[in-house]
Formats: sequence, structure tokens, C-alpha cells
Amino acid sequence: MKIVNQHSPIQQLTKLTFVLLFIFSTSLFAQQGDAANGKKLFKANCAACHKLDKKVLGPPLKGVSEKRDRKWLYSWIKNSAEFIKSGDADAKAIFEEFKIPMTPFPQLSNKDIDDILAYTDDKPAKKAASGAGASTKVDPKVKLGKKLFKANCAACHKMEGKLVGPGLKGVTERREKEWLHAWIKDNNALRKSGDAIAKQVFEENGKMPMTPFPQLSDDDIDALLAYFKVGDVKKVVKNTAGVNTTKKEKKSSGAWMNWVVILVILGLLIWMFLSKVTFLKIIATVFLLLVGAYFTFDWLMGIGVDQGYQPIQPIAFSHKIHAGDNKIDCQYCHSSAKHSKTSGVPTANVCMNCHKSISEVADDTRVGALGKEQLDKEIQKIYNAVGWDSDNMKYKENYKPIPIKWIRVHNLPDFAYYNHSQHVTVAGIKCQKCHGPVEKMDEMKQHSPLTMRWCLDCHKATDVNLDNKYYAKIHKQLSEKYGVEKVTIAQLGGKECGKCHY
Amino acid sequence: MKSLIKIIFSLFVIVVFFSCSDKAQRNIQYMPDMYRPVPYEAYSTNPNFANGLSSQQPVAGTVARGSAPYDYPNTEEGYQAAKANLVSPLDSTQVDYKKGKKLFNMYCAICHGKKGDGNGVLSQRDKFVGIPNYASREITEGSIYHVIMYGRNMMGSHASQLQPAERWQVVHYVEKLRNDLKK
Repeated sequence: MKIVNQHSPIQQLTKLTFVLLFIFSTSLFAQQGDAANGKKLFKANCAACHKLDKKVLGPPLKGVSEKRDRKWLYSWIKNSAEFIKSGDADAKAIFEEFKIPMTPFPQLSNKDIDDILAYTDDKPAKKAASGAGASTKVDPKVKLGKKLFKANCAACHKMEGKLVGPGLKGVTERREKEWLHAWIKDNNALRKSGDAIAKQVFEENGKMPMTPFPQLSDDDIDALLAYFKVGDVKKVVKNTAGVNTTKKEKKSSGAWMNWVVILVILGLLIWMFLSKVTFLKIIATVFLLLVGAYFTFDWLMGIGVDQGYQPIQPIAFSHKIHAGDNKIDCQYCHSSAKHSKTSGVPTANVCMNCHKSISEVADDTRVGALGKEQLDKEIQKIYNAVGWDSDNMKYKENYKPIPIKWIRVHNLPDFAYYNHSQHVTVAGIKCQKCHGPVEKMDEMKQHSPLTMRWCLDCHKATDVNLDNKYYAKIHKQLSEKYGVEKVTIAQLGGKECGKCHY
Repeated sequence: MKSLIKIIFSLFVIVVFFSCSDKAQRNIQYMPDMYRPVPYEAYSTNPNFANGLSSQQPVAGTVARGSAPYDYPNTEEGYQAAKANLVSPLDSTQVDYKKGKKLFNMYCAICHGKKGDGNGVLSQRDKFVGIPNYASREITEGSIYHVIMYGRNMMGSHASQLQPAERWQVVHYVEKLRNDLKK
């Protein structure tokens, strides 16, 4: 027989307000002064060499104030080099371990350092709060549960898969609610009381007793259980996938219309051929010949032209993310364009300038059909090429680099000379003028036809910048010769055969 | 009826002929001998070298045209020595802030910010965090050059992207930014 708890509406209302008040107060607490300012300071001063939970150049800083006392930290942060000299044993030991002196921060006051430490200690709770804040539709109880999970359980449990303890997603289906309450509060007591399941769990997980959590209230545990039941809500990824499919549908409906038109014309032609009237037959034949000639000519003109060429590159590199979203200058990577005939494909050391610290993409990043999981592997390909050990943050010793075999997209035939520096540095043309909106392309493709006519059209239409005093005399002679004020590239000799073909 | 079959067949052939274009393949070429270079191209594979690349690193002990030997080693001592002793070879007439600005915005501003305050686009977007403000660091001509040359901490070397003369222009522009920030 079921026991049904009857709540009066007033009771429910008070409960609800209590929960809301509680959540409000915790979120207020999380945003309060210290840690927030600490986060700012951390990002501005420390984050270049330290992460919270992973070794970078220096050690991870999460919970550092528990490892060292505060005075020690003050003198270390303000001037570690002098502190080491003063003969502190701990300071010396750290220097020996990392071998790099830490930048001194005399400009940070004790208060600033306190703020930073508040942030480094407080991180798990804060991250949970901000993460939950982003997903608006999540039940507040689940939100609270996630926060508590990260603060208390995540050291030994994941939601899915075993860590030290078992994965917790869906645990509410495996065990009774009352049992879980008792277990979380004090699992040792539960086991001693002779509970069979408790003993079994203990045996299954390597006989490691779980830390008791008597400080969690019943409401806290309920929130945790709610979170275990629901798990993390995945959001953004689904949305973009939806958009993609609708776009495809639109495209295919357009193609469908084209096919209808073609079929109608075909039907008409066949009808004309089959009719007994000779005139119609002749018209149809002429029409067919013209269409055939058009396509043949078009095809012949396309020989050696690779407009639209879009090879599959060895790494799913997205120009959109790098040049578009992150606004990295084209020449940051293609640095030889300013001095050389070729605009070079960057060597992997240029990739590593950023990807030393960026080893994975943001959660909602997508390139075509690839999501985060695949894209992280794409970054891994750079590490394989150069031999970077991202766990220990250093290059592997005696590693033979494996060059990345990028496939060249833009390639002029060997009988035409083209020089990037002449166009990029001297003329100051934007890369996009020839290469198209690269900053919007996930996958690089050839935007322009790169035919001679295309070159000459631009040379005829573009005026030379006449500001250069060194060439003033020549510019004057040219403008007199052609009787114009502005000289185009073609008038300067940009139409002469020998300029490009020799 | 025979002619109908003929027509449909020829149309079919034409459609098939034009429909097989693969954008991951290059188009056919007329006289490919003239399209494809005989010598090795800058980024092509090259069986004549042990590592199979056409683009090789400078031979040890040689100085390429436009570059200059740099004697400070890539160590902490080297950094301190460069910071104390290395001075710019440019005199005041050779310093070109316009050029320095252009290069700085191209290679440095993405992290360090256009004003040198450590607030570049990558920093704003949380991709690369912890970038210092120039004003808060004790840096000199020599140390700036040394860091561009070898990198420091999480910053990588930018020597492959900037030639020595360009590095010095950037150094002077960084010093200008730093002085502006300190005002």
C-alpha cells in the first residue's frame, strides 16, 4: 500500500519560497567581492603560467592556501627570487622542481593576494554556479545538486564511468532514496549496522570507505539525487544541428525545382521530335545543338581552371574560427606573404604559439559535421606532428617531427609568375580581394578563377597609388603619355606579356 | 521510336558527362608539362633531403641574408643578460612607429591588445588568459627583443614570423605603448 503525503497549498508555497531564498542567497554568496575580484586578478596575473587544476608552467593553484600558510604565500608571490635567496626550504624545493623563477608581483597588495586565494579555493562551487546559470531551463534543484556534486563528490565520482567510486548518473534507479540518504551521511555506520547492500558496495569498489558527509542536509541530498537522475543537460549542440538540417532541406528543395524545369524542357523537346511537323523538328535540333555547343564551350574554358577546388585537408582546420571568430591577422600565420613570392603555409611552431595552451576547443564549437570530440583530436594531430606532450607541457625528447601534408589550394601554372609581396606589401591589397571571404570559410576553397583574364581585369581597373615620391617622375611621365590624372596598373606595364610570362 | 531511344541516350550521355565534377579534385589540364614545375617548389616534398622537405632550416654556422647572429642563449641567464646589455641598433631616425604599429597589430595585438594592456581578442574571448599589461612589467629593449626571439613562459617564439629589423621596430613600438600606458 502506498502512503501519499498530503500537502496543503500553503505548505507547498512556504517550501518553494524557502528553496528559492536558499538558492538566491547561495548565488549571491558566490558572486560576492573577494572571489570575483580574485578571478579578475588571477586572469590578469597568474593565468599565463598557472591553471587551477592542471600543471602548466607552474603548479596547479586550486586549494594552494591549504598547502602553504598565508605569510609564506605573500612573500613568495611578491618576490619569489628573493624569498629563495633568503633560504626558505620550501621555496628552494619548489624552484628545484620547476627550475623557472616565477615573475615577481610586488604590485599586488596582501588584500589582492587574499582575493586571488579566495578565488583559487572557491573555484569548484563558482564554476558550477556559472555553468548552471547558462542553461536557463534546468530545475533549480538540479542546479543546486550539480553545485553540491562538484564541491563534494566530484573528487571521487564522475556522472558516467567509474573514477574512485562508481558513476552516479541514474543511481536513484538502482537504490532506494532512504538508503542513499543514510549512505551519503555516514556510510561506515550504515555498513556496521549490517546492511547487505552497503557491504556489497564496499566490496565492489576496492574496499575503500567513502568519506562521510554528515554536513549535508536532507534537502541537499535530495538536490543531489535530483541531479543524479537528470544529469547534465546538453543544449547548444542540438540547436546548431537542427539549423544545419533545415538549411540542407532548403537547398535540396531548390535543386528539386531545377530538375522539374529540366524535365519539362526535355519533355517538350521529345514531343517536338515525335511530332510530324518538320519545322518543329528543325527548331528542336537547332536548340539541342546550341545547348550542346554552350556546354562544350563552357567545359573547354574550364580546363586548367580550379575555381571551387576544395580538397580535404589532413587537419580539419577552420579559417572561420581562427581568422573570423578570433580575428587573427592573415599574416600572423602566412607571415612570408609580406616578403616573398609565396605566402607560406605556417610551420607547426606557429600553431604551437597558441595551441601550447589551447589543447581543446570550446564545448559548443562545430566545424561542419565535426563536434568537440573530433576537433580535440584534430588539435592532437599538431601535437603528434611536433612531438608535444600536453600532459607534461613539454616537447618530447629526440622526437622526429612528422610534417603535416597540407594540400595546396591556390596554384598558378608554372608558366605564370606571381609575387605575393608585390601585391600585399607594395600595393597593400587585402588578402580577401583574391582569396574571397576566407574568414567565413570552415573549409578552404578556391574563390577566384585565377585565369589571365581575371588578373588583367583587375590590373585595368585598379589605380596606382601615386604617393611614393621616389617614383614621382615616372608617374608624371606616364600620366602625360596617357593624358590621364590617375594611372592604372595596366598603364604602368601590368598588361605586358613579359611581366608574368618569361 | 528508334530516334526517341537515340535522343534519350545521347541526352543521358551528356548529363553523365557534365555531372561528374568532384570539388576535391583539380580540373584536367591542357598540356600539364607546362603547368607543373620541373624544379622543386617551396613547400613540396623533396627526396634529396633526409627529412623529405624542400624547405630546410639554415645550415648551422651560417647567417642568412637579412638576418643577424644572436648570441644570447635561450636560458634564464641569457634573458637577464639581454635585459641588461642588449640595446637597439636603430637610431632615432630609423625608428618607424608606423611600421612598428602595423607589425605589432599583426603579430602581437591578438593577445597583448592594441594598446599593450594585455586585453587582446584572444584574451577577451578567454582563449588565452593571463596576459600582462606592459606597464606592470619591468622590461627593456633587450628583454623585449629576447622574448620575441625565443618566447617566454607561455608565449612562443615569433622569430620565424618577424625578421631582425622588423623585431626592432616592434620593440620600439612596444616601448612607446608602455610609456603611453604608464602616463
